[in-house]
Amino acid sequence: MMDEKDIINGLAASDPTAFREFVEQYKKKVYFLALDVVGNPVDAEDVSQEVFLKVYRSFGTFNREARLGSWLYRVTYNAGIDHLRRKALIPEAVEDEALEARSRGEAPLSASSAFSDPAATAEARQLQAKIALALEKVSPQEKAVFLLRHYNDLKLKEIAETLHLSTGSVKSYLFRAVKKLQRELGAPDVTGGMEVSHD
Amino acid sequence: MISCRKCRDMMIEALYGELRPADRESFDAHLRACPDCASEYSIMGATLRVMDERRRPDPGPEFWDTYWDRLAARLDVTDKAPAVRPQAVPLSARLGRLFSGLPGWTWQAAAGAALVVVGILIGRSIVSPPGQPAGLVSAVQNPAAASAVPASNDPSERARRYLDRSQVLLLGLVNYNPKTQDLYALDLDGKKTACRELSLQAADIQSSLKDPRQKRLKELVSDLQIIMMQIANLGAGNDLEGVDLIKQGVEQRDIFLKIDLTRMTLGAAGPQGPSARPGSQASGAADKAKMRI
Repeated sequence: MMDEKDIINGLAASDPTAFREFVEQYKKKVYFLALDVVGNPVDAEDVSQEVFLKVYRSFGTFNREARLGSWLYRVTYNAGIDHLRRKALIPEAVEDEALEARSRGEAPLSASSAFSDPAATAEARQLQAKIALALEKVSPQEKAVFLLRHYNDLKLKEIAETLHLSTGSVKSYLFRAVKKLQRELGAPDVTGGMEVSHD
Repeated sequence: MISCRKCRDMMIEALYGELRPADRESFDAHLRACPDCASEYSIMGATLRVMDERRRPDPGPEFWDTYWDRLAARLDVTDKAPAVRPQAVPLSARLGRLFSGLPGWTWQAAAGAALVVVGILIGRSIVSPPGQPAGLVSAVQNPAAASAVPASNDPSERARRYLDRSQVLLLGLVNYNPKTQDLYALDLDGKKTACRELSLQAADIQSSLKDPRQKRLKELVSDLQIIMMQIANLGAGNDLEGVDLIKQGVEQRDIFLKIDLTRMTLGAAGPQGPSARPGSQASGAADKAKMRI
């Protein structure tokens, strides 16, 4: 497996082996971040592939002082946002029900789990719907910060780089996002439902 | 001790493990002394644990296994137009230098002739055993023969032809010895052009190999595609260092062995026998026994 430095050197030299290694290492992260931004798997794949093609063709724009991952996430995030903007201009003719369900964050459950415990399945679906709903209640900026930190493992500083914000702003958005999620989900049972507010 | 406000400021970093050790100590000390902050921190942690339950639909292993193929196909399609244009530059420059005024097909003929030279040189070290079809040798001597066969719609047959052409090209490269051979015998520009074409064909062939039993064949075509792209992207001029790296890659990945095995799986009905490359693992013990050097 190539390390980041080798991949960067390879990409700079348009080395196809380095490009493939790069794709293999980052495909899941890029896809899932794209999925978080655009909300459905078909568009997520499309965006993720656009990102890799863009990287392959315009790696010259990468600043070698920066971290490859941060740069890639920024490209992905921006590609996702661009995709949504483009899509907003083209109304969907037919909405696929399954797709819609996925975009609401309802994970498809395997047939075996559904048959083995229907109650658990219903509960899991409810939880997924609740989480998806809670995420809709946070502002786009708070959501972006939360998704990048919580599901895509970007450090606060990396998120700041990605979204062109200060680290302080990122912390602030994230704090507010967690608080809103807390309200939407109902206070978890650590303190018997009491919402803390002091200071 | 830090204030409640300061403690609150640190909560996000603490929750995500981004607090510096010194700050973590003062943060923990505050929580021990302040039940309100401790409670708030605990609730935020619990909220995040609920958010951990969020499931993003994983498209599954098949999606991930074929992700590269789809991307490579897309890369080929979108790059096809610009990929053809740059070829005109070295082609015309070379023609201008060597055969000014001659039509374009003369270049292909010249490339074929150069490969014939490679074939003859290879022939010094490789001799087909009696009775065995000399397909590989003849193909090396005349690579056009390998590609001049009418196109087939059968994916396996197309893949087999692809293996044949790739092997011919690779043999010319791998057997090139800069100490004993002229650079024109290597004909790197001609090979780069051919490899560019082959790398474009690979995506199409891969997408036509849909039978799960063809998985290995598909993987081999994918491996060859990478090598073809590497050759096509070699530096301008005679990038012998790059050629060496590609040779090493071919060795390390046992490409010739894989081609032989795959061809055997396909029935070995084609015009070419095992790739008899001296000193290569590809030849295998049985093949080595058949060879006379």
